[in-house]
Amino acid sequence: MLPLLMALLGLIPRTARWLPRLGAILLLVQIPVVIWVCVPVFSGGIISYGAFGIDGMGAAFTIITTLVAAAAMVQAALLLPAERAEGHKITDRRFCLFYTLSGGFILAMYAVPLAQHIGYLWIAVEATTLMSAPLINYHHGRDSLEATWKYLLLCSVGIAFALFGTVLILAAQHALGNGETLVLGDLIARAKDMDPRLLRLGFIFCLLGYGTKAGIFPLHNWLPDAHSESPSPVSGMLSGALLNCALVAIWRLSQVVVAAGQAELVRQLLVPAGAITVIAASLMLVKQHDLKRMLAYSSVEHVGLLTLAIGIGSGQLFILHAFNHSIVKVALFLMAGSILHVYGTKELSKLGGILKASPVWGIVLIAAGFAIAGSPPFGTFISEWLLIRDAFASGEIAATIAVIVGLTITFMAITTHVGRVVFGSEHSPAKTAPVRVWALTPALLMVMSLIAGVAVAPPVMRILSVLAQGVQR
Amino acid sequence: MNLSQIDLFAAGAAVLAVWMCGVTHVKAQLWGLALQTVMLSGICVLQGAAENQSQLFALAVVVFLVKGVGIPVFLERSAKRMDIERDKGVSISPTLTLMIGCGVLFIGYFLAPDFAVPAMMNQGSAGMALALIFIGMLLMITRRLALSQVIGFLTMENGIFLYSLTQTRHMPMLVEMGIVFEVLIGVLVAGVFIFRINRSFEHIDVTDMRRLRH
Repeated sequence: MLPLLMALLGLIPRTARWLPRLGAILLLVQIPVVIWVCVPVFSGGIISYGAFGIDGMGAAFTIITTLVAAAAMVQAALLLPAERAEGHKITDRRFCLFYTLSGGFILAMYAVPLAQHIGYLWIAVEATTLMSAPLINYHHGRDSLEATWKYLLLCSVGIAFALFGTVLILAAQHALGNGETLVLGDLIARAKDMDPRLLRLGFIFCLLGYGTKAGIFPLHNWLPDAHSESPSPVSGMLSGALLNCALVAIWRLSQVVVAAGQAELVRQLLVPAGAITVIAASLMLVKQHDLKRMLAYSSVEHVGLLTLAIGIGSGQLFILHAFNHSIVKVALFLMAGSILHVYGTKELSKLGGILKASPVWGIVLIAAGFAIAGSPPFGTFISEWLLIRDAFASGEIAATIAVIVGLTITFMAITTHVGRVVFGSEHSPAKTAPVRVWALTPALLMVMSLIAGVAVAPPVMRILSVLAQGVQR
Repeated sequence: MNLSQIDLFAAGAAVLAVWMCGVTHVKAQLWGLALQTVMLSGICVLQGAAENQSQLFALAVVVFLVKGVGIPVFLERSAKRMDIERDKGVSISPTLTLMIGCGVLFIGYFLAPDFAVPAMMNQGSAGMALALIFIGMLLMITRRLALSQVIGFLTMENGIFLYSLTQTRHMPMLVEMGIVFEVLIGVLVAGVFIFRINRSFEHIDVTDMRRLRH
């Protein structure tokens, strides 16, 4: 696949001048390639290559990851050279290393949803951590170093728990005569005969582990730091693709537990976890004073919603909301990166008057702000609405009410913050004039979100349910 | 009670981990870690002999070379390069940590029946594995040096390895190798960052990293 090519080219320092453009083009070409590869899956097929394979879930998240990565790389091609031109001390070697690691990171993120074997799943998730840690530290500042260390350490501990959970699930098969397996399909098939106690323990440890990586509430500690300190294209990939990967891992394991007839456990753990995450994130959103940190907390909130979707066992809504959240969040992070570059600050109190400085940027930002807060006519509104409806219908009244309260607070917090940035009076003047082209990728993503909002009609839901069913087999 | 040879080795590894709670010299800690890993590769060999599986011998060699020799030597070198001899700041005194470590060992011992797999011979090892995991966490929490936190993480990882070795009929070889490899890369990456932290903060004490809040 093409990111590999980008990764390899990054190894040659002399390519620094044209590598950004090439990276963007490669990733853009990757979109139709991935969709073409995934086509058979849309009618319910499964393509398998040994321990890896494209099933419905895999196809959906590979496509989301590709979109996110392409958007991030296009913006990186605009942003990073401009940054270098303005005298950020970044050597050619580090610049090329950025591309090598990005390529590796994207490949690792492909491996997660495609792994049909929970051992390889673990390895892939760990690989994403290792690949992305140096990316966060791209600017080599004290703050970014602190954020990276926190990220590396917390996620490593988390991932160690996930490994223990994986081993426990392996051990849960002791009573079965014909050896042990970590292949997902076999696990689901024999889930009923596994030792329920060890399986439960295993799932809880895995949830702790992958939950850390996804940023579920008490374990979200590293997330705002890493997302706000890394360069914006990386923030976009972390938020729009990596969080999804961790959640896919949780979804896979929850399938095994459900197949073992313990759907109650999944629900009892994930539904409250999701609801608490939404509420906590919404409260923390209110008092944010940093644009990118605010976006990071909004990611935590959406992770809460996605966790809820997994908790009520709704694969369609999980995919739909992950897609909607990813494209809007990437758009926002890319805008935030441009703003940071032009104004030299991401302090919310120092930003203002963007609409006056550049109408295009202002409009895109306002649209994205409304979309991420979950208002119509954007896709996020539809998926949040369906999610609340389904959660209510499945009898999770308390959790649903908590989520609604959380979403309301979030809506107010985000619209206030973004409103001030767009309409408020100008505090610190722009260092350079905002370039209109920089808003192009975010604008395209917003159009996509708009289409997703309008087009979610019965046929789309049917495709989604085919994709979600593919996993259950 | 009846300790098998494997249980004995597992207990040895856990006791070494407890000992590591009480020392602050980086070199001593690294020796503790290396010996722990030697115990684990010993278990690997014993298990391989008992079940007649040559794969396990290969795994024992790889684990010994990577985690028993490679990683400690690498960390020792970096410690020397950064002029660190001991972890000066620990949030709980080493003696107290040692006591807590003993407590954790007991808890692990009593929890063993809950985690052990009934069909397996070495029930005691499950408890020792749990103790290793929790002591690793304890080390990570109480130590302030970035390097010591990495050592704590490796102890935790050893615990998981011990559990998978004694309580399951083996992870697929490829996965096991993948994990060893990932841990190696992880330590290398962490090593680079430790070096960076040392350079830009002039020390590798993580308690002073307090800028990023709320």
